[in-house]
Amino acid sequence: MKALKYDPLDIVVTGVGGQGNVLASQVLGLALLTAGYEVTVGETYGLSQRGGSVTSQVRVSSGPVLGPMMPDHRATAIVSLEPLEALRLLGVYGHPGVVVLTNDRPLRPLGVLAGEQLYPEPAELRATLESLCAKLYWLPATAAALELGNHILANVVLLGALCGLDLLPIGAAEVEAALGDMFPESKMALNREALAKGLALVRAA
Amino acid sequence: MVPPAASPAPQPTGLERLLAEVINPGLCVACGACLGLCPHLIFLDGQVAAPDACGLTSGRCYGFCPVAQRDVSRESQGPIGPVLGAWQGRATSKDLQGRVQYGGVVSELLALALDQSMVREAVVTAAGLRGTPQGIRVTERTGVLGAAGSVYAGGGALSSLNQALSEDSNHPLAVVGLPCQVQAVQAMKAHPQQPQAARRIHLVIGLFCTMNLPWRGLRKLLARHGVQAPLSRADFPPPPAGIFQAWSNGSYHELPLDQVRALSYPGCAGCPDLTSDGADLSVGACEGKPGWNTILARTHAGAGLLELAAGKGLLELEPAQPASMEHLTQAASDKRKRATAWSEERRHG
Amino acid sequence: MADVSKLAPGQKVLMQGNEAIARGALEAGVSLAAAYPGNPSSEILQTLADSARSAGIYVEWSTNEKVALESAAAASYAGLRGMASMKQNGVNVAQDFICNLTISGTKGGLVLVTCDDPSGVSSTNEQDARFIARVACLPLLEPATPAECLKLTKLAFELSEQIGNLVVLRGLARLSHTRAGVTPGPLPEAKPRPHWDPNERWFTIPVVPRHQVMLDKLAQAGELIAAAGVNYYDGPVRPELLVIASGSSRLYADEARRLVGAGGRVGILHMGATWPLDQELILEHLARADKILFAEEVDPHIESGVKSIYAQHVRELGLKDFYGQETGHKPPIGELSPSRVAAAMADILGLPWQETDPAYLAKAKAAQALVAPRQVGFCPGCPHRASYWSMKQVLSADGREGIVSGDIGCYTMGVLPTGYERVNAVHCMGSGPGIASGLGKLRSQGFEQPVISVVGDSTFFHAALPALVNARWNNSDYVLVVLDNSATAMTGFQPHPGTGSTAMGQAGTAVDVEQICAGLGLPYTVLDPYDLEATQEALYDALQIGGGLRVLIFRRTCALVQNKRGGHPWRMSVDPQLCRGEDCGCDRFCTRVFRCPGLVFDQATGKTVLDEVVCVGCGVCAQICPAGAIKARPKEATA
Ligand SMILES: Cc1cc2nc3c(=O)[nH]c(=O)nc-3n(C[C@@H](O)[C@H](O)[C@H](O)COP(=O)(O)OP(=O)(O)OC[C@H]3O[C@@H](n4cnc5c(N)ncnc54)[C@H](O)[C@@H]3O)c2cc1C
Ligand code: SF4
Ligand code: SF4
Ligand code: SF4
Ligand code: SF4
Repeated sequence: MKALKYDPLDIVVTGVGGQGNVLASQVLGLALLTAGYEVTVGETYGLSQRGGSVTSQVRVSSGPVLGPMMPDHRATAIVSLEPLEALRLLGVYGHPGVVVLTNDRPLRPLGVLAGEQLYPEPAELRATLESLCAKLYWLPATAAALELGNHILANVVLLGALCGLDLLPIGAAEVEAALGDMFPESKMALNREALAKGLALVRAA
Repeated sequence: MVPPAASPAPQPTGLERLLAEVINPGLCVACGACLGLCPHLIFLDGQVAAPDACGLTSGRCYGFCPVAQRDVSRESQGPIGPVLGAWQGRATSKDLQGRVQYGGVVSELLALALDQSMVREAVVTAAGLRGTPQGIRVTERTGVLGAAGSVYAGGGALSSLNQALSEDSNHPLAVVGLPCQVQAVQAMKAHPQQPQAARRIHLVIGLFCTMNLPWRGLRKLLARHGVQAPLSRADFPPPPAGIFQAWSNGSYHELPLDQVRALSYPGCAGCPDLTSDGADLSVGACEGKPGWNTILARTHAGAGLLELAAGKGLLELEPAQPASMEHLTQAASDKRKRATAWSEERRHG
Repeated sequence: MADVSKLAPGQKVLMQGNEAIARGALEAGVSLAAAYPGNPSSEILQTLADSARSAGIYVEWSTNEKVALESAAAASYAGLRGMASMKQNGVNVAQDFICNLTISGTKGGLVLVTCDDPSGVSSTNEQDARFIARVACLPLLEPATPAECLKLTKLAFELSEQIGNLVVLRGLARLSHTRAGVTPGPLPEAKPRPHWDPNERWFTIPVVPRHQVMLDKLAQAGELIAAAGVNYYDGPVRPELLVIASGSSRLYADEARRLVGAGGRVGILHMGATWPLDQELILEHLARADKILFAEEVDPHIESGVKSIYAQHVRELGLKDFYGQETGHKPPIGELSPSRVAAAMADILGLPWQETDPAYLAKAKAAQALVAPRQVGFCPGCPHRASYWSMKQVLSADGREGIVSGDIGCYTMGVLPTGYERVNAVHCMGSGPGIASGLGKLRSQGFEQPVISVVGDSTFFHAALPALVNARWNNSDYVLVVLDNSATAMTGFQPHPGTGSTAMGQAGTAVDVEQICAGLGLPYTVLDPYDLEATQEALYDALQIGGGLRVLIFRRTCALVQNKRGGHPWRMSVDPQLCRGEDCGCDRFCTRVFRCPGLVFDQATGKTVLDEVVCVGCGVCAQICPAGAIKARPKEATA
C-alpha cells in the first residue's frame, strides 16, 4: 500500500442530478478500498434526479475511519461535471491549495433558463475558478464523451483525468478494474476509451 | 455639454396596467380585444383572466382595451355619430325567420358580403362550450346563420379577430360587434404594432347596446330559475314588459328584469356609445315594429352594401321614422350623460 | 440494489449504510421485513427485496409505516424475527401502535429502523425520531459507520429477543448513503418454524402492572447494552474536554480534535446506545472531566439525559461546565459537521481556529454572486408540470381564489416555481385531503373559495383514505385530484397498491383507485394531464358543480418511468420563423412561464431553442405555444 501524499485525501465529486457523479465516486471509492485504504464515500441525495446540485465526497485515509462529511475548506481536489458547480463548492471546500478539475460544459439552472438569473460568461467563470485554486483543469469532458457517442461518459472521462494527476495513490488500471466490477464487459470498451481520453486531456493541459 | 432634460419614465402600457385599471377593479366587459394576442390572457366561461405576469411594459392588450381607452367626451358628431342614411328594414329570406334576433339585417348583410367575396371571413358571436357566447370565424352564409340571434352576454369575440389577424394571410375580414368592440376595432386599426388590422378589416357592423351581461352570472341566475344552458336566444322586450325572455331547448322562460339588470357588467356604466358610431353600419331594434331593425349607414362602404342588399331584394328597407330617430338620439344622448357622470364619480371617489 | 445475501463472509466490501443494515438483518435471521418508501431509508427494504429470494425471506412494501410495523410484529408473535424500516416521519405514523406494542411486548426479535434526515435534505422536516425511545421506553442504538450498521442491527435483534420488546435502530441520512468498508459475517443456517402458541396472548391490560413490566424490560436492556460494549471511551484518562457523542457526530468529534490540534486533551465517549443511557459509564467519565461537550443530531437527546443524571449526582461530582445546545456549541437546527464541532472545541479550549486564509474566504464568498441557485424542478416531460399548469389556468379563470391543498411526493414541488407555486399547504402524508375536507365544510361559515386537494397514487393509499371517507360522510365540498403517475417516483419508483406488483417482484392484486371511488360513491373522471384542453375543461366543470367530494384522476406515467419503457412519442422542434420570442404576443411564454428545462431561450437570436438532450418528447409544450412554433412530429416518422 503506497503512502498517501495527502492524508486524509479528500476529493469532492460534484455535478447536477443525472450526470453520474455518484457512480464516479463509487468507482473511485471501490478502487481505493481494494488498494487497501480506509475509504468513506458520502453521498447526498435529495431531489437529485430533478435538476438539483449533487455532491459526493470521497475520503481516504491510511488510519482512522473518517466521517461522511469533510471539514469545510480543506478538500484536496474538486472534480466537477459542471463548471458552475465547481465554483459553488469552492465556497464551501476551497482553499488556496485546492486542485480543481472541471468539465467545461455548462448546464443552466432552471432560473437561468427562465431568464430570472444569469449564468456567467465562460471566460469569467474560468478566470474566477482559476483565481480560487492552486491549479485548474478546464476540460472538455462532455465533448470527449460525445465523441464516444454518449454524453453520460463525461464522468469516466473526468475519472481518467484525475488519474493523470499526482494526487491518487492508485492509477488508471485500478480505476478500470473498479469499473469492471460495476459494468458488464460489453460496456467496458467504451469506459476504457473514456478513461484514456481523460488521461490524455490532463496530459495535454 | 447640456445634460439632457430628465424625461418622466413612460407609463407602462402592458398587462400590468390593464389588470390594475380594468380587470382587477371588475370593469372588463369581455369584448375580447386583449384576447387571442398572446397566451397571457385567457377567456373561460365568459370571463377574462391572466394567470401569469407578462414581463412587458408596453403591449397591445392595453392599447386595444376600450375600457382603458374610453373617451367619454367624444360628441363632435352628435349623440348617434356620423350617419349617411337611416333606415328601418328586415331580411326577406324565410331561412332567417325564427333564428335571427329581430329583422336579420346583420346576418343578411354579412352573408352577402361573404357571398360577394367583399370579405372572405367574418367574426361573429355564437354559443360555445357550456353555452358561453364566444367568437367564431365563419367563411360562408351557413356559418353566419348559425351565429344569428343573441343571448345578451359577453363573448370576447374580438379574440377571434386577433387570431385571424395573427395568421400569415391577407384576405379581407368582417366583424360584428357591440359599441365597445367597434371602438376596440378602431384602436386596433390605429395601433402601430398591428398594421395588418387597417389593411384587412374591410367591414365593421356595429350593434346598438345599452348594457351587456356576464355569462357566468347569467348562467347561474338561469340555473336558479330552473333554466339549463345553452340558450338559443334571449331578449329584453320593450317596456313596460319588465321581463327578460330566454329560449332554451325549445322551451320559453321569463326572468324578472331587475334580477337580470343587476347582473350587468359594471364597466358598461361608463360606456358612452349606444349606436356603435365607429362602424360602417349600425343595427339595432326598431321601436314599435317587432321583427324589424333600425339601420344607420355610416360609411360609403356600409351604405353601398346596404344598397346592394336592397337591390337584390334580400332586404326590405324603409326610411327610418323621424319620431323613432328622435327617441334614439335622445337615448344615445342620455347614455353619454350617464357615462360622463359615472366617470366623473369614479375619478373623484 | 444488489443481492447482499450473496456476499462472502469475511471479505471486506464497499457497502452503503442502508445496505449494511439489510445485510445485518439477514445475518440476524430476519424472516419478514416491511417498509414504506421514504428517503433516506428506502434502500434498506429495496436491498432486502432484491435479496429475498436467495435468502428465503418475505419482504414487502406496505401501504404505510404503521402497517409495516404491524406486519413485522406478526412475525415476532409467530416466533420469527421481523423488521420495519422507515424515515423519521414514518415513526409518527407508527407511533400509536408502538406505544401499545411496548406494553404488550414481543417474542421473536423485532426491530424498527428509523433513518432521520438532519437538514431535511429529502424531507419535509428534520425531526429527531429518537423521541420514540423515551416516549415508548425502548432501547435505542445509533451506529456511526456502515460497519456498525451491520453490527448494531444484529445486536438489536438479539436485544429485542432477550427483553421481549421492540428495539429501535437510528440511522441518519449521511450514514444511510455513506459507503465504506464492511466485512460481512455468516448467514444463519436455519430459522425457526413460525408458530403462534394459542396460549400466548399479547395485549396491554391491565395497564398499570404491564407498564411496570415495560420499565423492567428497559432496565434489563440497560444491563445488556453495558455488557455489549457498544459504548466506549477513547482519549486520555483525565481529558480537559469530554465529548459525549453519537452517530456521525462521533466521527466529526474525532476529526475535530485533530483539526484543532487538541488530540491529547480531548476524550470522546462514543455512545452506540443512547437509550437507556448507561448511567454508570457516564458517571465514571463525568468524574474525570470538568468540561463536557455534546455532539449529536438534531435534538439534545443525550444532553438532557446526561444533565439529568448529573443533577442526581451533583454533590459527588462537583461543578462542571456543560457545552451543547444550551450554550450554542451545538446548533439546535440542521446537521453537525466536523467544522462545526471543531469551532466549538476551539472556543471551549481557547484554541485558534480558522477554516482557511481569511482573504481566500472573502474572495470565495464574493465569487458566489456568480453562482445562480439550482432550483429543483419537475423532470422534462413530467406529468405533474402539465397537471399544475392546468390547475393554474383553471383556478385563475375561475377567479374565486381557489386553494390547493398539497401532499407528499414529487408533486410536493407544486410549492416551487416548477409547479407555478400553485400549492398552498403541504404537511405530511395524507394531510392534504384532510385539510381540504375541513375547508370544504367551512361553507357553513361563509368560506366560498373553491378547494382542490392533490394526492399522488401512492399517498392515496398511504393515508388519504380515512380523510376521503370523512369528506364523503360529512359531505365536504372539494375536488380531489389524484395525480396518478403509476409510481412512487420521489423515493425511487417502488411499486404501490395501485401498480399491483410487489416488493419481491411478484404479482399482487392491483387496488384500483376508480373502484375505491366507486365504492365510496364518489363521482370520478379519468383524464390524461398531457391533454391540457380536456383536463382544463373537466377541472373547471368539477369546480363549478360544487356540492360534495368529487374526484378527477389525472393518469399519466412518470416521465422517468416512461423513459425506461420506450420513451415518449414526439420529436420536438421550434420553428425560429414562427417563434415570437420576447415580442408582445408571447414574451417567452415557454421558457419564462411554462419552464420545462427542455426549452432554452437563446439570448443571441431572441428565439427559443429546443435542447434535444433534455427534452423527452412529451409534446405538452406544443399545446401552450401561442404561435404554433413548437412542433411535435412522431418519432418513428423522423427516425
Ligand atoms: C348585448 C347586446 C345588447 C343589445 N342592446 C340593444 C339595445 O339596447 N337596443 C337595441 O336597439 N339593440 C340592442 N342590441 C342589438 C340587437 O337589437 C340585435 O342584435 C340587432 O338589432 C341585430 O338584429 P338582427 O336581427 O339583425 O340580428 P341577427 O341577424 O340575429 O344577428 C345577430 C348578430 O349579433 C351578434 N351577437 C350576438 N351576441 C353578441 C354579443 N354578445 N356580442 C357581440 N355580438 C353579438 C351575432 O354574431 C350575430 O351576428 C343588443 C345586442 C346585444 C348582443
Ligand atoms: S404579450 Fe402583449 S398582449 Fe400579451 S399580456 Fe403582454 S403586453 Fe399584453
Ligand atoms: S420522477 Fe417522475 S413524477 Fe417525479 S418529477 Fe420526475 S417525471 Fe415527475
Ligand atoms: S411560446 Fe412559442 S412563440 Fe413563445 S417563445 Fe416559446 S416557442 Fe417562441
Ligand atoms: S416536449 Fe416540451 S414539455 Fe415535453 S419534455 Fe420536451 S420540451 Fe419539455
